[in-house]
Amino acid sequence: MTLPGETSRPSDTRRPGDTGPARDRGPAGGTSLAAWARDLALGARFAVTGGRSGLLRTLLTATGVGFGVALLLVASSLPNMLFQREVRESVRAVDGSEQVTSPRPDSFLHLGRTTVYRDDVISGLLLRPEGDAPPVPPGASAFPAVGEMLVSPALRELLDSPEGALLRERLPYQVAGTIGQAGLIGPAELRYVAHADFLDTENLDGRGTRYGWSVPEEPLNAFLLLLVVVACVVLLLPVLVFVATAVRFGGEQRDRRLAALRLVGADIAMTRRVAAGESLAGALLGLLTGLGLFAVARQFAGAFTIWDVNAYPSDVVPMPVLAALALVAVPVASVVVTLFALRGVAIEPLGVVRTSTPRRRRLWWRLLLLAAGVALLVPLMGEVQVTGTSIDTVGVAAGTTLVLIGLTTLLPWLVEACVKRLNTGPVSWQLAVRRLQLSSGTAARAVSGIVVAATGAIALQMLFQAMENDFTQLTGEDSSRAQIAIGADAGTAAEARGMIDRFERTKGVSGVIGIVESHVWRPGPLKEGEEFAPRASIRVGDCASLGEFATLPSCVDGDVFVFLAHGAQGNPDDSWVTRTARPGATVALRDPYPHPSEPQRPEGAPLPQWRIPATARVVDSRPDPTGMYEYGILATPSAIDAARLDEPDAQAMVRLDPAVPDAADHVRNTAEAIDPTSWVRTLKDTERDAAYSSVRTGILVGSTLTMLLVAASLLVTTLEQLRERKRLLSSLVALGTRRSTLSWSVLWQTAVPIVLGLVLAVAGGLGLGVVLLNLGGQPVADWWTFLPVVGIGLALIAAVTLLSMPALWRLMRADGLRTE
Amino acid sequence: MTSTPLLGATGLDKAYGPTPALVGASFSLRAGEVVAVMGPSGSGKSTLLHCLAGIVRPDAGTITYDGRELTALSDTARSALRRTDFGFVFQFGQLVPELTCVENVALPLRLNGEKRKAAEARAVEWMARLEVEDIAAKRPGEISGGQGQRVAVARALVTAPRVIFADEPTGALDSLNGERVMRLLTDASRDTGAAVVLVTHEARVAAYSDREIVVRDGAVRDAEWAA
Repeated sequence: MTLPGETSRPSDTRRPGDTGPARDRGPAGGTSLAAWARDLALGARFAVTGGRSGLLRTLLTATGVGFGVALLLVASSLPNMLFQREVRESVRAVDGSEQVTSPRPDSFLHLGRTTVYRDDVISGLLLRPEGDAPPVPPGASAFPAVGEMLVSPALRELLDSPEGALLRERLPYQVAGTIGQAGLIGPAELRYVAHADFLDTENLDGRGTRYGWSVPEEPLNAFLLLLVVVACVVLLLPVLVFVATAVRFGGEQRDRRLAALRLVGADIAMTRRVAAGESLAGALLGLLTGLGLFAVARQFAGAFTIWDVNAYPSDVVPMPVLAALALVAVPVASVVVTLFALRGVAIEPLGVVRTSTPRRRRLWWRLLLLAAGVALLVPLMGEVQVTGTSIDTVGVAAGTTLVLIGLTTLLPWLVEACVKRLNTGPVSWQLAVRRLQLSSGTAARAVSGIVVAATGAIALQMLFQAMENDFTQLTGEDSSRAQIAIGADAGTAAEARGMIDRFERTKGVSGVIGIVESHVWRPGPLKEGEEFAPRASIRVGDCASLGEFATLPSCVDGDVFVFLAHGAQGNPDDSWVTRTARPGATVALRDPYPHPSEPQRPEGAPLPQWRIPATARVVDSRPDPTGMYEYGILATPSAIDAARLDEPDAQAMVRLDPAVPDAADHVRNTAEAIDPTSWVRTLKDTERDAAYSSVRTGILVGSTLTMLLVAASLLVTTLEQLRERKRLLSSLVALGTRRSTLSWSVLWQTAVPIVLGLVLAVAGGLGLGVVLLNLGGQPVADWWTFLPVVGIGLALIAAVTLLSMPALWRLMRADGLRTE
Repeated sequence: MTSTPLLGATGLDKAYGPTPALVGASFSLRAGEVVAVMGPSGSGKSTLLHCLAGIVRPDAGTITYDGRELTALSDTARSALRRTDFGFVFQFGQLVPELTCVENVALPLRLNGEKRKAAEARAVEWMARLEVEDIAAKRPGEISGGQGQRVAVARALVTAPRVIFADEPTGALDSLNGERVMRLLTDASRDTGAAVVLVTHEARVAAYSDREIVVRDGAVRDAEWAA
């Protein structure tokens, strides 16, 4: 018997198809480039001409590799995709670098508007040209006329649909055109640019003359970069594992073909190269498939919005290094993996013998990889500053990769060590365990993708949790007291009151905290050192509304309170407030010393005044539903005639009836109708940092796809195993084996390696997480972050088993026993 | 012959797509009898065996086993019958490659719910009888074809079945090993009183039977049943 690694005898050097005596052309088993090329080509030919099953195997491999390559290209496109969104945002923004103080022929007033419709964010830009040559907004062919707006294709579609009915009420402009790609950050973006003639210098964001900020150059924060690096490693390794799994599909069919080759004179080295050629053909076909899938997916990038990310095909461009790596690594990996897999196989002329007692797996080199990874990461501990932007990318990536690869290589050893000890149990368990004992490598390889993904996901989750405090700010808003806050300019107090009434009458509103807000000033001459008269705010509203701003011991109509913030949130000292607002003090209802740019009081006109009742109580401020500590005067309607107040604003905080659909949108419509420049804010308890959100989004998209790929890999491996055991399954059924027994066997066979993989992933993920957190000197915030990942793993077991069942039951039919 | 057949079939039709495999086939088997089913390749021998064993349901016709109509039984009931009353030997043994030989022989007992130790003890007894006890701890990949077939015969006999279905049991063996397997199979079945349905196209294998029937183009010529 010729054993693996043995040199071939001269008689082995004959090529299949040779009929005459061996000619002098060098040994067929030689290692020259020509011999390699010749044998790889022969294998490639077998891959496509090896009959139906050969072709099926090649197609399976190509499909597997194709999906892997496509995912790899998509993953490597994510950074550019997110960057291009920022670039697009900058390009269309009004350039604020130049201060334009007076109207010019090319100047325009602008106001950015953002509104929420159901769960979608709609951004808007209101413009009013001041001259006859305003620049055309990016993506538009002309400046919209008064009362007209340009809309993105997605917004146009929404407005034209029945679902957009409520939104049409909110945007009172005539649709005059479509915004092109240059003015949008993604094809699904909901955006409008309108010509609003009500814009003036009082209610604008600014005055501009051109569009386009410089392209963002600020690098990602070091911690975010760390996350991206780890995420890429986590995403890419399972793809390579999948490639390695895919090239092994249909091994038994191939074995028979190789034995036939040996029979006609091929030597061991040649048969291995032929086998590698078969895999190479599948891998190359897979590479083409992957490129094709990526090209198609790229075209449809705009059709999908995942976690608010949506991109133009032109923005989905892989990182050149990764793309090149995929083009080279996939074919090379297919050849190397095949040669590696055939190490323990003796291909003999009468058949292929897998070494009956597989070589015991060594632990030391697997631990060495792990240790090397940790050794690379440990010196970096404490080096990453949360606020910094530099990071030893190579060190972190190499360390993380080595740790992940170390854990992956540890899995086959762990599976082997564990299943060796499993013995007793029902028949289904015995069948599964025995199969794993005989060949745990296949299952472990498939599952190793899970180990990488799960380990990485756990480590990333730990990073996220720890960074929660840094990046997730508590807004201070209390959405249990009110869900929407609105502020609008009102000409008079009556108008302000009218606005509040309109909110109260709006469909879906269950309560309104409504106040009319203005200011009062200290009358009399300015004191030494004062440049303007001290002032305090005054809020007029019913007792319930006033109670949202201060802790009131009791309140009836006619009461007045002076409320103090005690300097909270950077508010002025109480002594500054009480210069103006104190019980019994007389206050001016107009600014005694208005700024020269503001309307002046007619000469000799009396200054309207009001006396704060001496019975007014001094109370403590409390955070209002928007989280702000205010200060000044709170007055009930009978205490002061609000009509006397100066330039009052209406402020409303609205409670919604959860039973009314679209209640929030009805409120937003009311606000827009009252004042198109009003501000509307949905109150949220927390708010995420934008950069943090986009990285998290990218990682979520990637890890979801990776998990799906791992599931697909496991499923294909299981189906392949079942297909190769068709005859055996049929004969087991003939023996009277219950379907349930075989079904359970498949479940155990899937579950044992996955559970072991998850145990390894949890241990490894927590360890890696601790090390990565230590890079930035961060403590562990939550040790239980692995639970969702374990949940996903268990769901994978169930999914793969369930999806295998139809094939299992089909293969258990008696057809498998037919030989003719 | 006056005794009631243990296993009988009348008017069996079975087609795979447009290709008829059995056309009005009839068959009978008495307890303890060894019947050889002969015929050329593709004549329908194996299909007949699969129908008789309840593996495949015929398109038409009836099969009775021990007074019960097999064709009327559910899949679960037929599976149970195969576990308790029938034994099987296939051309390539069809041993489970992951299990050791003794575990393969004990498998039908374990499928019947027997404890592992007891099942393997009985399996070893049968392996000794089939002269393969020395390979009990080996896996099928580590033994010869002849040994594998004898392990398969032991597996078929271990539940003390009333009928053994053997589909070309020597088809993959050389003549010497084939003779040995047939001798052991028929001796053991006669000792235990098990009937044997032996599908073969070799006359020297059929010579071990008590009676021969011929299947040709899906039709069975069984003179005794016809009488």
